[in-house]
Amino acid sequence: MKTVLIKTHEAWLEMLMAGFMSRTESKQILFDFSDILFRHFTWIEHELIEIGESYDYNRDNIPIKVSRLSDMLKAITARLLEIDLQLVGTPDRDLAARMSTDIAYMVDVLHGMNDEVVTAFNMERRLPNTELTEEATDALTLFLFDESYKEYELIMIYNYLKAHSDDAFLNRIFQILIDESFFHLKQFGEMMAKMGILAVPRVVMRELYEVEDVTAFLKAGIEEEIVAKEECKKLSDAVGRDSQSLAKFFDFINHQENYHIALMREALVHYEKAENG
Amino acid sequence: MSMDAMVIEHMMNPKNYGTLSAANAEGMGKNPENGEKVVVYIHVKEDEEKPYIDEIAFQAIGCTTTIVAGSMLTEEAKGLTLDGAKNLVAATMQLLEKLPDEDAACSEMVVLAIDAAVDTYMKRKEETDYPMLTYQVSHTCTPKEEEA
Repeated sequence: MKTVLIKTHEAWLEMLMAGFMSRTESKQILFDFSDILFRHFTWIEHELIEIGESYDYNRDNIPIKVSRLSDMLKAITARLLEIDLQLVGTPDRDLAARMSTDIAYMVDVLHGMNDEVVTAFNMERRLPNTELTEEATDALTLFLFDESYKEYELIMIYNYLKAHSDDAFLNRIFQILIDESFFHLKQFGEMMAKMGILAVPRVVMRELYEVEDVTAFLKAGIEEEIVAKEECKKLSDAVGRDSQSLAKFFDFINHQENYHIALMREALVHYEKAENG
Repeated sequence: MSMDAMVIEHMMNPKNYGTLSAANAEGMGKNPENGEKVVVYIHVKEDEEKPYIDEIAFQAIGCTTTIVAGSMLTEEAKGLTLDGAKNLVAATMQLLEKLPDEDAACSEMVVLAIDAAVDTYMKRKEETDYPMLTYQVSHTCTPKEEEA
């Protein structure tokens, strides 16, 4: 089961990366498949919690640097077939059957997908129809690497907290924050692929998601969101001189962070109330 | 951070990122100001005349600059004897003194983690279950204008 969790985690990210690489109608299919694989991941995690088996979010590094999409699709197919084989030992037969039929369909669709030339790794660092100065390009590059990892980290942390909580109030907040981070990750990943600097976010350290003191975590998280807002504002200012549309996009992301902070404050009040009886 | 192709390559594909199951020592570099930290895992090959680091890995809670520094410095440290690793630590610390504090802090965390891993290894030669050493950075990550 633990191996299935790890391999599904890897397949989810691989599929997401393939979605960023694609420039055709395949993109949305790959994103949808990646969403399904993330759901598989959470269901397997639930199973592991149910049977009391320890687990973590460690995984291998995932090589994605390909020049043709078909190479990526072959790698994903191999991983999916590996997961399918491992499902034999999964105690929840309904879950195993569901995953197996999903995998069979996905493999079939991937097999029929048209090949594409991949430009997501050419390091050109240029966005279509946008002329940025070298300084603004560097600022944007650093922001995208920092924040794409941060969004992945938040998905993993909130997912872990949600998996280990049966509090409906908190789980609603965690789910919103997961969904929001997915949106941001997809936006930043798209931009990275267009700029030729696509990369898989690095593995999240265990101590980050195995949160021992949730109130301290939320307080630190609120501070981090405030810093992230400032970074967004700085970036918006840096690129604003060259591209109004890019500046507007980062202001849009910046304004979304306000609601995240409000939700985290709500969660904090809820936790503190529960702690103080 | 100035961005040439080599730096971007380290950003996209950090070398040696992760843990090392075969590690025989670990060390941590830490920034107490903001909670950022780097853990370096080393495997020292001992059956040689001069033991050397034959495997190395790192993990970090930190920014992209830290990851790039970790990727570059662990590549440098791979294959070095323990004396060689100490020389790398000393030489890098000297270089960092020439940089503004906020630029130096991330790399310093990595250097200190390598130093701590080597020192932990030495301590474990005398006491096998000696705990991982942690060293704290002397540079601050906060840019001058934000300190006021």
